[in-house]
Amino acid sequence: MFYRWHVGTVAWVLHRLSGALIVFYLVLHIWVMSFLQKGPESFNRVMHLLENPLFKLLEIGLLGVVIYHSLNGIRLVILDLGYGMAHQKKMFWAVVVVGIVIFVLGAVPLYPF
Amino acid sequence: MEITFKILRFDPDKNKKPYYRKYTVKVEPGMTVLDGLNEIKWRQDGTLAYRRSCRSAICGSCAMTINGVNRLACNSQILALKRKTVVVEPLRRFPIIKDLIVDMDPFFEKMSIIKPYLITHSPAGLRERLQSPEERKLLDEPVTCILCGACTSSCPSYWYNKNYLGPASLFKAYRFVFDSRDEGTEERLRIISDRDGLWRCHSIFNCVEACPKSLNPTYAIAELKKKIVTTKL
Repeated sequence: MFYRWHVGTVAWVLHRLSGALIVFYLVLHIWVMSFLQKGPESFNRVMHLLENPLFKLLEIGLLGVVIYHSLNGIRLVILDLGYGMAHQKKMFWAVVVVGIVIFVLGAVPLYPF
Repeated sequence: MEITFKILRFDPDKNKKPYYRKYTVKVEPGMTVLDGLNEIKWRQDGTLAYRRSCRSAICGSCAMTINGVNRLACNSQILALKRKTVVVEPLRRFPIIKDLIVDMDPFFEKMSIIKPYLITHSPAGLRERLQSPEERKLLDEPVTCILCGACTSSCPSYWYNKNYLGPASLFKAYRFVFDSRDEGTEERLRIISDRDGLWRCHSIFNCVEACPKSLNPTYAIAELKKKIVTTKL
């Protein structure tokens, strides 16, 4: 019982996934920040751990996730206002192209190696 | 040209679960999937069950999933699908009665929820309630709907929540909300802004891809969302 993935379906699935990842990151972020309560030393220890290149790579991943979610979010707002209905696919590809450009611009300075 | 039809079969008296069965059909140019199904039923296997009537895309009986997309069997030419195998399945998430025949009752119940008739409070008067051509134009799309169910059955929001009104029923709501003669707007907007109503639409556009009449329920739903936001209920 396979149903074909249209452009709109892909955009929706990615939007859901990226949304869930952002919520997961937010919880993680608040947890990391909660070390501030335990004094400067324990906070510095956590911060030192996060300087690991692995976390830098995850950060680049997060950038991609946030960029997709925001740009597709704009696409959805425009569509929900009733504009560009006939161009929703082109708008998705615009999200992808603009997203990749912003992602590269942002990822290069973050790249740890 | 020989084409294989892979059809999802189910007989509630004999089978616990639906299963696929293959048939080979000699296909001539111009033959539709419905012609293929008739060929199978009339010459190979009389037990195959499916709905059909007008064979000209106006009755809405033969909506089914063909190669992973909802279409009308009578409106889809086999060779235009460009596949050696044609997979035919009943509309998903509708209860299967037998083979390709699904229970449309839940679909029509959702249609009746939105009160699909003209509501008026003002006295009828001696003449018809007239509309200008511009006012009538707004209704061109929604009155073209043939109630085949292809859109609702293609909607991921409906797959995950069977209580969701679905694109077809919301499209019908649009047809009355934007009818200049109708006076039941508030009543209807209240019904569709329910938790299982139009906010379940995430603008996925599967309904637009599926509609055999090339209509745009997503646009209608977006217009209804705007109407609700700008109307004080």
